[in-house]
Amino acid sequence: MDFLRRILGKPAPEQTQETISITKEPVEPPRPPEPVIVAPKAEESNHQKVNTVVVAPTDVTPTVFDTVELGGTRQLPPLEAIVPKPGQHLRVGHLSDVGMVRPNNQDSMFCLVGASASHENLPELGLFVVADGMGGHHDGEKASSIAARVVGQYVINEILLPLMSNQMNDPDRPALTEVLRAAVEKANEAVTEQIPEGGTTTTMAVVLGDLAYFAHVGDSRAYLISNDGIDQITRDHSLVQRLVELDQLTREEMIDHPQKNVLYRAIGQSDNLDVDTITRRLQPRTRLLLCSDGLWNLVADDTIKETVLHEPTPQDACNKLVKLANERGGPDNITVILVQVPG
Amino acid sequence: MVDTQKFAKNLPEQPSGDNALQPGSVLQNRYRITGVIGVGGMGSVYQARDLRFPNVQRHVAVKEMLNLTTDKSMRELTLRTFERESDMLAALSHPAVPEIYDYFSSKDRAYLVMEYINGRDLDAIINSMNDFLPVETVLQWALELCDVLGYLHNHQPEAIVFRDVKPSNIMIDQHGRLRLVDFGIAKTFQVGQKGTMIGTEGYSAPEQYRGEASPASDVYGVGATLHHILTRRDPRLEPPFTFAERPIRNINNRVSGEFDAIVMKALAFDAADRYTNAGMMKEAFEKLNKPVFSAFASQSTGEKAEDLSEWGTVEEGVKALWRFKCEDEVRSSPTVHKGVLYVGAYDNNLYAINTADGTFKWKHPADKSIVSSPAVADAENLILFGSVDQFLYALDARVGQVHWTAPTGGPVQSSPRVAHGHVFFGSDDGNLYAVRLSTGRVQWKWPAGAPVRSKPLVTDELIVVGMESGDVAALDLSGQMAWRFRAKRGVTSSPISHEGIVYFGSLDWQVYALDIARGWKVWTYRTNKAIISSPAIGDDKLFIGSVDGSLYALDLSSGKERWRYETENQITSSPAYANGVVYFGGIDGKVYAVEAKSGHLRWSFTTGGPIPSSPAVVDGVVYIGSMDHCIYALKA
Repeated sequence: MDFLRRILGKPAPEQTQETISITKEPVEPPRPPEPVIVAPKAEESNHQKVNTVVVAPTDVTPTVFDTVELGGTRQLPPLEAIVPKPGQHLRVGHLSDVGMVRPNNQDSMFCLVGASASHENLPELGLFVVADGMGGHHDGEKASSIAARVVGQYVINEILLPLMSNQMNDPDRPALTEVLRAAVEKANEAVTEQIPEGGTTTTMAVVLGDLAYFAHVGDSRAYLISNDGIDQITRDHSLVQRLVELDQLTREEMIDHPQKNVLYRAIGQSDNLDVDTITRRLQPRTRLLLCSDGLWNLVADDTIKETVLHEPTPQDACNKLVKLANERGGPDNITVILVQVPG
Repeated sequence: MVDTQKFAKNLPEQPSGDNALQPGSVLQNRYRITGVIGVGGMGSVYQARDLRFPNVQRHVAVKEMLNLTTDKSMRELTLRTFERESDMLAALSHPAVPEIYDYFSSKDRAYLVMEYINGRDLDAIINSMNDFLPVETVLQWALELCDVLGYLHNHQPEAIVFRDVKPSNIMIDQHGRLRLVDFGIAKTFQVGQKGTMIGTEGYSAPEQYRGEASPASDVYGVGATLHHILTRRDPRLEPPFTFAERPIRNINNRVSGEFDAIVMKALAFDAADRYTNAGMMKEAFEKLNKPVFSAFASQSTGEKAEDLSEWGTVEEGVKALWRFKCEDEVRSSPTVHKGVLYVGAYDNNLYAINTADGTFKWKHPADKSIVSSPAVADAENLILFGSVDQFLYALDARVGQVHWTAPTGGPVQSSPRVAHGHVFFGSDDGNLYAVRLSTGRVQWKWPAGAPVRSKPLVTDELIVVGMESGDVAALDLSGQMAWRFRAKRGVTSSPISHEGIVYFGSLDWQVYALDIARGWKVWTYRTNKAIISSPAIGDDKLFIGSVDGSLYALDLSSGKERWRYETENQITSSPAYANGVVYFGGIDGKVYAVEAKSGHLRWSFTTGGPIPSSPAVVDGVVYIGSMDHCIYALKA
């Protein structure tokens, strides 16, 4: 009955006898506690500052895949990660791989994580973007690079900087969902202007405390994964997905459909872009996965879930997922970002 | 035959420029090429002169198809198919089907010679219009289109399915007649496309993506084409199969409800829900086209129109199970608990009514009116309610006797919330109170700085409350403030929370969603007037009424409008959600039951006065008060 203790607040003399008033005579309590407005209390965990961040050598050793090295888009170097003590901060892994068939990597990604331990009770924060470009003559990779960078820049300016200057409660600030939507619209403007022949998907997640905000266009995906299951948060903007939603196509028919690559919404397509935004509460220890279709087209949801839950670190899981996609032919670029929620 | 649009749009790759026939070339010693009508990757369409008629200018269209198949036997097969289909076409006889004169083939190409149609295709016509086309014109085209497709669908021994009904395949010739062009023979020669692409065809029925096509698929194409013409919204630029999300009459109010209904029926996702063939669709259009003479007929069509505009069937005869008459207006919302309904009235009484039959159980008078809704404290067996007389009352639920009262310095218009052994409520004296249920002792009061009329939200950790100043504050359970948010005007609407987000409306016209832990704005949605109504949650949506007269359904996680239902007057009543249906009252005097999924009306019930009261829905019964002094129990 902790809430009782909290509700009572500072000790107040307990009345020995219940005051029953059947008249309307106001019965003043003996000593109503003076209401006091104080600044929000820091969470208890923040007092244990000593143990918060442990700098340790990385336990991450990304597997080297037996694919042909082609240009500078092969894969990222191993992460020199700061591994926080499990359970207190966001932990992140990521990998973008060209795959086994394509000559270049048209996927782009961006990751930014902030952890803090302070009296001010700043939330755990993260910014994650996956973009899968399309178009010939390197237009695809240019489009996805611009998209990932522009949405990142916008979110940093409109959310992370105001947060660091303690302006988030300003009622005139646009809603967080609106900021994410505007970020994707900015990317759309930039891609349309700079790469008229290119297009790209964009799936972004911003984590602020125990809420995750998503913005999404195209067929890259965001999943939430826990022991309870794997939950696809985003909806593919593809023709076949729409047909499945209307019960006009089965999931099996979708896999080999001749038009499975047809998107009806992407960045670089038109001026007025309809951006999906989604907000979800993150339960403790949940994993948040962002990936391009190079992963989900080849690795089934259940396999993704098992891999994510069983690999020791998020980076190990990313490496394993990319390996699985490559073992199945790796026909497309594969990009994975995996975030583990504290708890 | 002019299908330039199709070629230009769908096949943007290298035109067969090198191989194109030059003007002056002669095919079969008979057709002299005079110009190119269209160019595409599959071949070109030429205008040619038929040299068999040396003394007159007789023009024909020559469609050229490149046989791109490399495999020899496949090439043969393609050619045979081409010849068979050409024969079939040549045997057709309908004024809207272009005549086929000839066909022939060379080593890598096949040619079809047909009637040259002088006119424009519908795609070009739509694109050149600055306003909607007259509905009568569109209706005339619809009749002609259904007529020719109906002819194909009735073809013996088996129906011919056109498969590709869309504006660019429909021409209006120089005489204003509708002509169907491009009988899909080109498809025989098409090879599959690879790689991620943007854009869809827009007019094809869902089952065609499974490789199935029936006359009902053509019916869908007619619906899609008409929808495009009537709304001027190109389906190729919209998510596939979303015609229903762009209701024709919302965009073009010159279209009648009946016309709209025919088009929407043709656009049903499931082929079985559409007209079976174009002939049946034509019959529907003919009924619409017929002038009405007899009084009887006009009456029946009039009724039908109303039904359609109301979005489906309106159940007649919603039975009022009972009603209970108070001595004055009922503005407070009823609370139902263990077979008893508790409600306050302007006559100063709190009533307890048996829900089974609407019989009177007890009443208790306050000194002034009761506008807030009562709360039940089950363990303590108390009914709690505030009154304009500045007191909060705790009554024994069984007999209606006062257990205790708590005085405040102003009218209590906030509805009390029972949680954690306490009752939380606000007063116009500018305080939020936490009172112990067992004793009636004020545990703490928090100065809100403005009257508190919303019902406090209490979770395991926090209390969130809105003030008339526009502030919304979150306190911990000891009354210490965790965060504060400021709307531009008062927050009378009572906050509710779901999955870490708190939702409420404000007199500043907006609906707010905030991070409950921090008070940061997750999303906002602007209605067209003030919001007094409190939100309800169900079916992943947030439901809230606005003084602008609409009940809004917003997506919980994005704030996007899913649908809105317009009533004839303000909505100040808070909606209630139960089993896929949203219930609410309107100042227009009606109780509404609306499908949560679609926003379609399930039923409405008219009372004798405005309804600011919010419904309680328990065990399939909707309980609601009206300013006609009555409490109603309606079958949900």
